[in-house]
Amino acid sequence: MNASEICASISPSLPALFQCEAAPREGVRVRTPLLFPDGGIVDVFVVAKKNGYVVTDYGDALGWLGQHSVSNRLSKNQQSMVKDVCQTLRLELTQGQLTRSKVRLNDLAVAVVEVAQAVVRVSDIWFTMRSRSTQPTAEAVDKWLRTKSIRFARDVQIQGRSRRWRIDFETQAYGQTSLVRLLTTRAKGATRRMVEHAVAGWVDMRNLRESERGLTLVSLFDDTKDVWSESDFRQLEIHSEIAKWSQREQFNRILTMG
Amino acid sequence: MTLSQGEYQAIIDDQSKVITADIVWRRSRQILSAMEFRVNINNEEGYPIFLRGWYNPDSGKLSYSIIHRNVGRIYGLDLGAEHRNPDGRLIGETHKNYWWEGDHDKWAYSPEDITETWNNPIGVWEQFCDEVNLNHSGRMRPPIHPGRQLV
Repeated sequence: MNASEICASISPSLPALFQCEAAPREGVRVRTPLLFPDGGIVDVFVVAKKNGYVVTDYGDALGWLGQHSVSNRLSKNQQSMVKDVCQTLRLELTQGQLTRSKVRLNDLAVAVVEVAQAVVRVSDIWFTMRSRSTQPTAEAVDKWLRTKSIRFARDVQIQGRSRRWRIDFETQAYGQTSLVRLLTTRAKGATRRMVEHAVAGWVDMRNLRESERGLTLVSLFDDTKDVWSESDFRQLEIHSEIAKWSQREQFNRILTMG
Repeated sequence: MTLSQGEYQAIIDDQSKVITADIVWRRSRQILSAMEFRVNINNEEGYPIFLRGWYNPDSGKLSYSIIHRNVGRIYGLDLGAEHRNPDGRLIGETHKNYWWEGDHDKWAYSPEDITETWNNPIGVWEQFCDEVNLNHSGRMRPPIHPGRQLV
């Protein structure tokens, strides 16, 4: 069967969201509606062989993981997860490819769906990959807030006028809510962009301050590294309270007294 | 933990990013039909970043990814696969993923500067470097898969 014939035979069995066309080298590519964790569309491939069809991802699942992780290797635990996926979905892992072979024509549509599901499950192993903290200061702030018994939430998404913004800490103390953005970097070259981004965020969230009483916007500078200039503080003091990590009592006053 | 948007943008804007080595594609250890490479990106600020390339002629895919050692991929060019943004919009087979604070690299756009096709890794590489302010002072060698013709 050529590519058109393969597509014609499997398309009726597949939902409309699956699109079939010739693959770059051999067989057909079925574009599925399923997504990788970053939003990439999952493709599955069907190749005609003498003893049936092979349905495979051509290694895209493990390739995706390699492109999105610091280490290109899976730990033993992660390898076990891949084996578990293959076992559940009755697939083989052949030279890094998730594959079902000797598939009959009538079973092609099911095989395509199950290989696609396997690709998604394997790529979800990405969520088990740890990343090192880029912000040890954030951990220190977390710890300090706990010792001060200030209630808080971390990495909060706040809707501004035009978009959502990620805020490092949202604190609650004595009837006052504070949104704290932590500015921390070792790279002096990064400070300008960080300040500009913070300014953009506070400007976009200005409506919140106007509509909510007792809301304070706080720019907390990690001044343990000597990268900030006076101009950085001045730019942000128009839009927020300025706090410095080296002056924790002042930071405490901002959070608790406004 | 995450990378701040400001720090990400500073990395992209940084003109001192340079790869001095020649880039040599090697057969992927995991996926024998694919080829890959990894090179360090030197820069004056000491950002812990490197670049990884992946090329799979069987599935028709080519990717170049800037990876930050602490958070993973922060910027990438993908050819041969479509993408759906968190707002539901479908982006075409040539797209660039970028870092957005809180969303990792889930957002992508169709770049106008990438006109080469997925099966021309060297042509794509030259176009990729321009937009991301990356200077490659070495040479990219063509990917040649053992047992296959020049791809």
